[in-house]
Amino acid sequence: MLETLHNLAVGFSVALSPPVLLYAFVGCVIGTLVGVLPGVGPLAGISLLLPATFGMDATRAIVMLAGIYYGAMYGGSTTSILMRIPGEAASVMTCIDGYAMARKGRAGAALAIAAVGSYVAGSASVIGLMLLAPPLAAFALRFGPPEYFALLLFGLLVLAYMSSGSMLKSLAMAALGLLLGMIGIDQMSGYFRFAYGVVELGDGLGVVPVAVGLFGLAEILATAGQAVPPKVIEPRLRELLPSRAEWRDAAAPIGRGTVLGFLVGIIPGSAHIISSFVSYALEKKLSKRPEEFGHGAVAGVAGPESANNSATSGAFVPMLALGVPSGPIPAVMLAAMMVHGVSPGPLLIRQQPELFWGFIASMYVGNLVLLILNLPLVGLFVNLLRVPYPYLYPAILTFSILGVYAVNGSVVDVWIMLAMGVLGYILRKLGFETAPIVLGVVLAPMIELALRQSLAMSDGHYAIFFQRPIAAALLAVGLGMMLLSLRSFIRRGLDWRARMALAEKGES
Amino acid sequence: MIAVRVVLFVVLALVALSPPAIAQDTFPSRPITIVAPFPPGGVADLTARPVAAAMEKALKSPVGVVNKTGAAGAVGMQSVAVAKPDGYTLLLALSSISIIPEADKIFDRKPAFTVDQFAPIALISADPTVLVVPADKPWKTAKDFIEDARNRPGQISYSSSGIYGTLHMAMELLSHAAGIKLRHVPHAGAGPALTAILGGHVDALASGPAVVLPHIKAGKLRALAGWGDKRVAALPDVPTFKELGYPDAEFYIWAGLFAPKATPEPVLSKLRATVREAVNDPDFKTAMDKIETPIAFKQGEEFQRFFDADARRLAAGVRKVGRIETK
Repeated sequence: MLETLHNLAVGFSVALSPPVLLYAFVGCVIGTLVGVLPGVGPLAGISLLLPATFGMDATRAIVMLAGIYYGAMYGGSTTSILMRIPGEAASVMTCIDGYAMARKGRAGAALAIAAVGSYVAGSASVIGLMLLAPPLAAFALRFGPPEYFALLLFGLLVLAYMSSGSMLKSLAMAALGLLLGMIGIDQMSGYFRFAYGVVELGDGLGVVPVAVGLFGLAEILATAGQAVPPKVIEPRLRELLPSRAEWRDAAAPIGRGTVLGFLVGIIPGSAHIISSFVSYALEKKLSKRPEEFGHGAVAGVAGPESANNSATSGAFVPMLALGVPSGPIPAVMLAAMMVHGVSPGPLLIRQQPELFWGFIASMYVGNLVLLILNLPLVGLFVNLLRVPYPYLYPAILTFSILGVYAVNGSVVDVWIMLAMGVLGYILRKLGFETAPIVLGVVLAPMIELALRQSLAMSDGHYAIFFQRPIAAALLAVGLGMMLLSLRSFIRRGLDWRARMALAEKGES
Repeated sequence: MIAVRVVLFVVLALVALSPPAIAQDTFPSRPITIVAPFPPGGVADLTARPVAAAMEKALKSPVGVVNKTGAAGAVGMQSVAVAKPDGYTLLLALSSISIIPEADKIFDRKPAFTVDQFAPIALISADPTVLVVPADKPWKTAKDFIEDARNRPGQISYSSSGIYGTLHMAMELLSHAAGIKLRHVPHAGAGPALTAILGGHVDALASGPAVVLPHIKAGKLRALAGWGDKRVAALPDVPTFKELGYPDAEFYIWAGLFAPKATPEPVLSKLRATVREAVNDPDFKTAMDKIETPIAFKQGEEFQRFFDADARRLAAGVRKVGRIETK
């Protein structure tokens, strides 16, 4: 412990040295801008800017890239809340209640809660990273394909909590999402599925174009189709900050989101995406007023936003402790280290203590920088809502197309986004919710790959899921949760879902 | 007003028409783009950037790198195959350039591109893969491994960067040469494949030496043999499969620079001369040193021979794997 403190002191001396501090700040600013640009998430931001760091000193480069990473996670919530455009897959859930809050004139509160939640989650998870990295990393590596598959099944259970309306409709949408997720190269045989000769479809439908289309574009189309244009929400200064009641509602979800996100984040792979989905479901399950979800529940913003930020730090655990490229973003960071002549690996902490501890300390500093940067910006961002729709929406459309194009430089992605926008509009008119589609598109390829890898490992024997303790335990818990929800479904009959449906009937 | 428009039109027309006329004699007269068909941070990207920087220095004209990713590199490679053959769009391809068209053939689909759509400029690097196993596995030598695999066909598993990917092909060439059958567990990229073996979920992996070296040094993985013509410099005690009597198990993750086929010969020779100068640039050498990738410069006949032999081996490998029928 004393040694850790000593190391941390060394780390802070690195992180607070003016040049490193400057790069952390620059990284945070760039990250925030990248996150605010619709469609461009942390992975795209970090990949696009990686080459720019090639000429720098190793510690500065890594610190700046990390700044871009969590800066983009912060920034991603902004467009989700204000315009219902998810900056990346992890902010899809924020679109639902964050945007609903904005419609009620609480955009400032939602942004402030997202920023504070992200700060708490970011800082707390760095402590977790610092103290628990080596033992946790070894545990995280035990997550192979069978464990991953069991974990992802939890993702499917989340579906039950995603809609506030008809269960049947939300399952239909999830099925549609899972089907859309089947597009692309079959990882086990190399066969192109549903690509129709378009090479770009070999990678499947990107989550970002799908989410931006289904949420953002559909929203724009729906607004444009209204006979009477919606009133511009004029935010007042004293309404910028969350009320006391809103803080109270946000506190516990922030705490739970932090722990949940960190745990999901350390698992190698792309599971961090589902951390915000799982957090949303958890909050809805625990909430005393689940009917508020989808209509501006504070917990629906606080939980997922905290979860996706602490998942960010969680993802660094295997990378820093073991030098394992445990996900797409850590893989890019490891490449950046190699370019700078740092050999990432299990010996990194011992061989490069200044880099490791400087990095840890800079994450504390960076999170604080982001909070200081973002809170005053809340006022500025909220004022974007004053712009009349005839100017605002074409601008958003332009930025969405630019953002989605910039990620892969692919026109096909732009077409996917536009097609999804039209689909989202039609589904909305028919009263379907689109969030389950996004969940399906996220989960389908991951579940499929994990299942088939597991079966390849076991030569086709399903017993592999029960012989491995972690996988078996996860499956048992999942099964238990499903049975529990079935019981309440049968016994109570009229739960909140049914009450909601009745209330909706009354309204129309 | 009309006069202004006419003048504007004439100026624009001149601007639009002039570059090709000039380009003929003074190549390059505008920036050159190198397409890296993989994301930033991958081998192709990390090689392309120092190459671009060194070429820029030699040409005294801008050279940029664009990452055009998708479908295991096919998207970027196809884009260069059909690009205007004027020397301003180049491709930094890896070994997979010879694999993808073969895999397309297996599925009777129209290939995204074919190898003869490209004119080779130079081979930049060639890194032989090495066979690694978790350090707690019983196999101490490649001989142990192969013998055990022979006794238990289909029982020893390995991870790869993906079906028909480079790491898969390396293993298949070995299986073919040694007459063994291994169990393939494809992963979505080289990173996840490495994570899988470090977690003990598979028994073996063929990998570029640089990424596994730290784990070998830390005692987590053991290197048994290499696919190269010579031993890997950083692993002097690890024999090659060639030494062990499997000359067909030869495989490199190589990176080479290509132009579209119809690029005029004067432009190609200028590019070849530039790359020759670039690979001797001290900054380029330092950059390649940092990513621990040995420079293996080859041009003209020599590169063509290497490329043809490699393509032949890989084509045979892909055909041997054939179409995978899953249960």
